[in-house]
Amino acid sequence: MFKLKVSKSEHKIIKDRLNLVETISYDYILTDDKELVEDDKINIVFNSSEITRVTKLLDLIVRGEEIHIIGNNEFGQKNVESRNFYYFIVENEDVYGVLSNTRLLIKTKLYEIEELLKHKDFIRISKYCLVNIGKIDYIKPALNSKLNLLLKNSEHLEVNRGYLKDFKKALEI
Amino acid sequence: MLFLLNNPGIAFILLVVIGFTVLMGAKIFEEIKLNSALSLKQRQMRISTPLKSFKTRIALMSSAALAPVVAVVIVATIALSPQASLPTGDLVAVNSANDIMDIYTTFQERMGSNYDTFGWGLRTFDGTVGAPEANFDTSNVLTSDDGTENADSGSDDYSGTNNQVVGVEEMDNVLTDGKYIYTMYQNKVQISLAYTTVDGPDVLSLYKTFTFSNEMCSGEQFYPMGMYVDDDYLVIIGNQYNFECKDYETEPGDDEGGETEPSYIEPYYWHQNSSHIKVLVFDKNNDFELQDEYLMNGYFTGTRKIENNLYIVTNNYIPFYDEDVDIDYYLSEYSVNGQVTKATYEDVVYIEGSNPNSFTTFYGIDLDTTQVDMETILGDSGYNLYVSNENIYLVGSVYYFWPMVDYVEVEEPVYESKTAIMKVAIDDGEVEYKGTGMVSGYTLNQFSIDEYNGYLRITTTSGWGEETNNRLYVLDENLVVVALLENLGKPNEQIKSTRFVGDYAYLVTFEQTDPFYVINLTDPTDPVIEGELEIPGFSTYLQPLGEDFMLGIGFGDNSGGTQGLKISIYDISDKSNPFVFDEIIFDYSEFGWANSTVTYNHKDLLVSLSKGIIALPFTTYNFGDSGYSYTSGILVYNIDLVTGFTFNGYVTHAADSADAESAYDVYVYKSKFIDDYFYTISNKYIKVSTIEDTQTILDSIDLN
Repeated sequence: MFKLKVSKSEHKIIKDRLNLVETISYDYILTDDKELVEDDKINIVFNSSEITRVTKLLDLIVRGEEIHIIGNNEFGQKNVESRNFYYFIVENEDVYGVLSNTRLLIKTKLYEIEELLKHKDFIRISKYCLVNIGKIDYIKPALNSKLNLLLKNSEHLEVNRGYLKDFKKALEI
Repeated sequence: MLFLLNNPGIAFILLVVIGFTVLMGAKIFEEIKLNSALSLKQRQMRISTPLKSFKTRIALMSSAALAPVVAVVIVATIALSPQASLPTGDLVAVNSANDIMDIYTTFQERMGSNYDTFGWGLRTFDGTVGAPEANFDTSNVLTSDDGTENADSGSDDYSGTNNQVVGVEEMDNVLTDGKYIYTMYQNKVQISLAYTTVDGPDVLSLYKTFTFSNEMCSGEQFYPMGMYVDDDYLVIIGNQYNFECKDYETEPGDDEGGETEPSYIEPYYWHQNSSHIKVLVFDKNNDFELQDEYLMNGYFTGTRKIENNLYIVTNNYIPFYDEDVDIDYYLSEYSVNGQVTKATYEDVVYIEGSNPNSFTTFYGIDLDTTQVDMETILGDSGYNLYVSNENIYLVGSVYYFWPMVDYVEVEEPVYESKTAIMKVAIDDGEVEYKGTGMVSGYTLNQFSIDEYNGYLRITTTSGWGEETNNRLYVLDENLVVVALLENLGKPNEQIKSTRFVGDYAYLVTFEQTDPFYVINLTDPTDPVIEGELEIPGFSTYLQPLGEDFMLGIGFGDNSGGTQGLKISIYDISDKSNPFVFDEIIFDYSEFGWANSTVTYNHKDLLVSLSKGIIALPFTTYNFGDSGYSYTSGILVYNIDLVTGFTFNGYVTHAADSADAESAYDVYVYKSKFIDDYFYTISNKYIKVSTIEDTQTILDSIDLN
């Protein structure tokens, strides 16, 4: 997504401070030298005193547009920003959105949520489950070619064989 | 690969282990890959969450992957390492025959093998130690009514047995006490008056003959093995076998139908467990009257005598393969003049880890009081006995199979061997087990072992060909190895002789040439090779001549080979530079073939620096035009530590034979001196000459 163009000696330091991951294909150029801008990209030219602000800007860019999901629990209706969901799951034909310490009954179909969140790093791992990649703590390959996911709330989910390829693709493997 | 084909079970297990390890490895790889990708993805998402479980998880996975490999290695180490069953030397109390059966069963299970060192087909006979019987005839050839003839004393200047350790007497077949010469040949022990201070050698005459029964079916047979003599006693030690003779009748109708004739039925007498060791003690001061008779069950292992204390080691194998084996029967027992004492199980100790195949018994006999002390050990026996003034060391091989050898088929040797050294303290006729030590290789003979200043020094050889390893060990009084010199000699060389003299060890190894090593043991914990000499041939026996010279007897010829008998004197005054001071070679090409028993029996050698002679049996076989001729005699050389060897004489006994043919029957095997007179002993004669001129016979007696 990003490419950092600064002097070689400062590259690592600035990259760390920006908490930046560079990718081969990119849309954004980050540089402290306006001579290095690329016309067909979005260029962010900054000086080193602005790094903190640039970092926040990058957070915003990556987060993108906030999508809120509405659901209900025993305390009533909630409107929650999508990145806070650990996963969405279908149980008895009802869709639940699981949060760190509660779950919401959501009136939207799972495939609709999937469509809604397709740029938000949610990935389908089974017919009934859509998981937030950002909430995965650890991946354990099982002997039966499935993957066990340990989430940051200590829950476990399983990636079914049929969804394995897409899951790996989402991790860019 | 052949090993795996022979052991499909092991091959399968190995395959499973390899498969599991590969699978686990792949899983670890995939897990690392997935989680690294997840981490990168989350960083792209600008979520900073370290994978906290990652390292622990990988460590766990790696352990799981390696666990079966480690398990296989451990199992293989235990299964294939013979160390697991080496004797520890600790003593285990025994209280009953059942305890012994348990020990045996446990040992067998532990070895995982049908390990019977004694599968000869033992037969059990009634060999109970019984009352003494006068099973020999005494004939006094020369007696006088008043005894005056023998009242004259002998000389104090005479040749004793060529013992290894000063003060520790070794049993021998010819002895002298300065007055009489005692000879032993087949079933006879004869006493000949040889010398008195009054009459000199002219008194040479046969005095007494003991003839022992050696007839198969006469009840008891006694085969004398050797003798001791001192101021008070003549001690004769021998084997007593009780054969079982059955009468059998030939079938009626045969020519001799119906006749009954006694027959020797059981041909495997040497495998029968009917052996006893008999000790006959004659009172010299009472005209060789039989004073005491001791009988011990079992087989003879060795004996020594220190002053008036006699030490005997016996061994009794227990035929465990016999399901009805009666262990009681094999338990050590002895009798003194018919008074039987049987060991109890409480007297027996088992050396932990050793093969419980036999009872080894150490007897200490006080000849003055007839007090007998014994120590019985259940464990492997020994083959090599060394006795110092303080301790008996019995050295044996411990063969130990690889555990689980029944389940694992291996092509190459299924066992290894070590030398176990059993130590028994002796003190004025009392014996006490002290411990067992363990070294690699095997010992050559009693000269491979020596005790000095509380340290035991021992030389061993292990392996064959390129694998040969000659070692010198030093062990402390607890038989713990404190020093080891390894790889003595060149590749392929084996130890041929060893002699320890005080702070030095002299060692001969051989394959093609004879490296003669001088090893400094002044610091017992740090032995050092101080000198080395390389010469053709090799010595099989070394004997110090004073402090500066070493006599070596062995093999060597004039062309650098070993086709001859060789007698050498090494000058060892400069320990770092030993050299051959003088040597004599009897090349077989000149003699046909020549041999001396001294090459394997040190007691046949007479060495006297005070008389300036060495004498040894020397036999030649000539193959000339007139055919085959045989000469047996005693070869005598004057030795002078300035001029070396000069030939003195070759004393043969054949000339006295009635005809030439009978010369072949004469076997001259020993020489002794009393004062200035030189006595040679054959199976037929004792002849006397002077040391100065040994070939001129002054007198002779016929022993038959």
